[in-house]
Amino acid sequence: MLKRTILLALGLSLGASGAALAGSWTGGDDLPTNPLACDGTPGKAEAKPYDGGVPTNAPDRKGKPIKVVDVPKLIGIGYFNATSKGIADAAKELGNVDAKTDGPTQANIDQQISFIDNYITSGVDGILFAANDPVAIAPVLKKALAAGINVVGYDANSEPDARQWFVNQAEFNGIAKALVDNMAKEVGEDASFAIVTSTFTTPNQARWIAEMEAYQAKCHPNMKWLETVEAQEDNVLSFNQATTLINKHGDDLKGIFGMTSVATPASAEAVTQAGKCGKISVVGLATPNAMKPYVEKDCVKSVVLWNPVDLGYAAMQVLRATADGDLKPGATSVKAGKLGELQVINGSEILLGAPFTFTKENIGQFDF
Amino acid sequence: MSASNPTVARPAPAMHPMKRVAAYGQEFILLGAIILLILVVSFVNPRFLGANNITNIFAGNAYIAVAAIGMSLVIISGHIDVAVGSLIGVLATISGTLAVNGYPIWLAWLAPVAIGILVNAGVGALIAYLRIPSIVVTLGMLSILKGGLISVTGGAWISNLPADYLIAQFRLFGIPSPVWFMVILTALVAFWMRYSGFGRTIYAIGGNVEAARVAGIQVERSTVIVFAIHGAFAGIAAVLFATQLQVIQSTVPPNLELTVITASVVGGVSILGGTGTVIGSTLAAILFAAIASSLIFLNVSAYWLRAVQGLLILVTVLADMARRHRLR
Repeated sequence: MLKRTILLALGLSLGASGAALAGSWTGGDDLPTNPLACDGTPGKAEAKPYDGGVPTNAPDRKGKPIKVVDVPKLIGIGYFNATSKGIADAAKELGNVDAKTDGPTQANIDQQISFIDNYITSGVDGILFAANDPVAIAPVLKKALAAGINVVGYDANSEPDARQWFVNQAEFNGIAKALVDNMAKEVGEDASFAIVTSTFTTPNQARWIAEMEAYQAKCHPNMKWLETVEAQEDNVLSFNQATTLINKHGDDLKGIFGMTSVATPASAEAVTQAGKCGKISVVGLATPNAMKPYVEKDCVKSVVLWNPVDLGYAAMQVLRATADGDLKPGATSVKAGKLGELQVINGSEILLGAPFTFTKENIGQFDF
Repeated sequence: MSASNPTVARPAPAMHPMKRVAAYGQEFILLGAIILLILVVSFVNPRFLGANNITNIFAGNAYIAVAAIGMSLVIISGHIDVAVGSLIGVLATISGTLAVNGYPIWLAWLAPVAIGILVNAGVGALIAYLRIPSIVVTLGMLSILKGGLISVTGGAWISNLPADYLIAQFRLFGIPSPVWFMVILTALVAFWMRYSGFGRTIYAIGGNVEAARVAGIQVERSTVIVFAIHGAFAGIAAVLFATQLQVIQSTVPPNLELTVITASVVGGVSILGGTGTVIGSTLAAILFAAIASSLIFLNVSAYWLRAVQGLLILVTVLADMARRHRLR
């Protein structure tokens, strides 16, 4: 502690300005990165053997009407209403699926397990799920597989061998590309920007930041990273930190990345209250409802996430393809209706595609 | 002391000079620290002194300062409340829910204060009449409130808040309303604690509960009132927290209760009860905001914020113990 104190006193008195500007971005992790191509060519899938589960003695369901139940983390909130709509849309389009959504009203793993258990008993052909807990949900899903039921996850995965396929909404490098591309489009190729993240050690955020750094170096080499600040999952602290960034860098700061659904609206609020709308762009990960006030007032132009309606739609298409035997272990892609050909990644996951950017034109259609 | 002395509940505020320094020393140290920090950092980067940044430093932790007023009263009276962060989260959600469902704005502002009073009066009653230690009761409340909040909201946020509800974004003479709340409430309570009979009662209970009882103070009733007042301040803090942005999270900032308690303790409120002022806790909250801002201006990792806060607690508690030792 004494050493730290002396160090801190030194840091304060010397004003360690500039020290953090050297070297790599703060807040990223040290894992290898895999930046996507600048022009939007999909990344090449690494060959990894199928690691999903296999249903026991599943009947031949090819082209036959099937009964499917969707058990999300919870029902009654905008996000899963949207995935549920996507599932219903796909079922209607396919014409041979009877799909319904049912689940707990709270994000509770025990209740989710008993819902799934009851549907196994009552007899269904397929189960879609978004797991409240990847490990705790595995036994009941394995029970479904053992009963010959097709099982596909989306949004939140289980252990791989407890389901056949998982529809992955976004990969780290895809999110990174969408964030950096949108920022470059808004502030220009030689602009400076800063990042507001949760903590430097939060795994997802650290992965995104590392991928953003790699992609920016590759595709937007003249953009300048100023610094990354921590704001935990605290909206008032996020607001304060973003405001401090604006005050510190003045006109040098052209853009702020919000790395969490808390930091992004808080940064947008900081820019609004500082009267910097139009001068400082905020691009980040966030849900549309939290960002509507800023997008509608033209203070924020791009909010990056995925489209939950498409996610539900893809999950239903994947389940149908699995039941039909069209999507088998070892496949490299699957046809998913209007979404086209989706890539198989990581052995037994289906990648939804590029992330979705919410803009003033489309944000009103979403309620989550 | 004679038990027949009828003025014991309102003693003259006469103080030994050493005790006066002891009672207010912490406030001077904190004020000096804030000024020194601002001078040093603005020397390194003059933009630190910009009006927007100074405003941000004073407004940034205003809701924590308001919550710390109530917390200080609780700690001075010899108790503690580790549930205040969760309580603020619950009250903010209640407030926002009323606001988006078309209830009058004044109701959305006052309901959290009223509910805060009721909930914490209940907590105070459990502590005072059933003699359960406050740390136990409030630890229980912490789990109940946190769990209840996540269950009820299902993690969903409240958005579409009406513009005239966002009281924390109002400004008077260019100064954000949270600063006004912080300054006026701190001044009122400091004055009241110093000169009112009940204010002295709180010090008396925290200083020596048996002596207070012998002196005729109704300790149980007073404890309930202290917790009820604390609930009112939690309610005001919740409204300021809820209206700072245009959405309300379903979770409270991690360790909010610790930040509030830290502000009180670093502000000079003795964790053993009996001494301290709310001016100190408010200055400590401002100092934390100034440190957080300084770390960004000096390019020092935010990890240091926690280290510095921890260090301040240790130093303050050690100084408090040394002072008590010397004055005995």
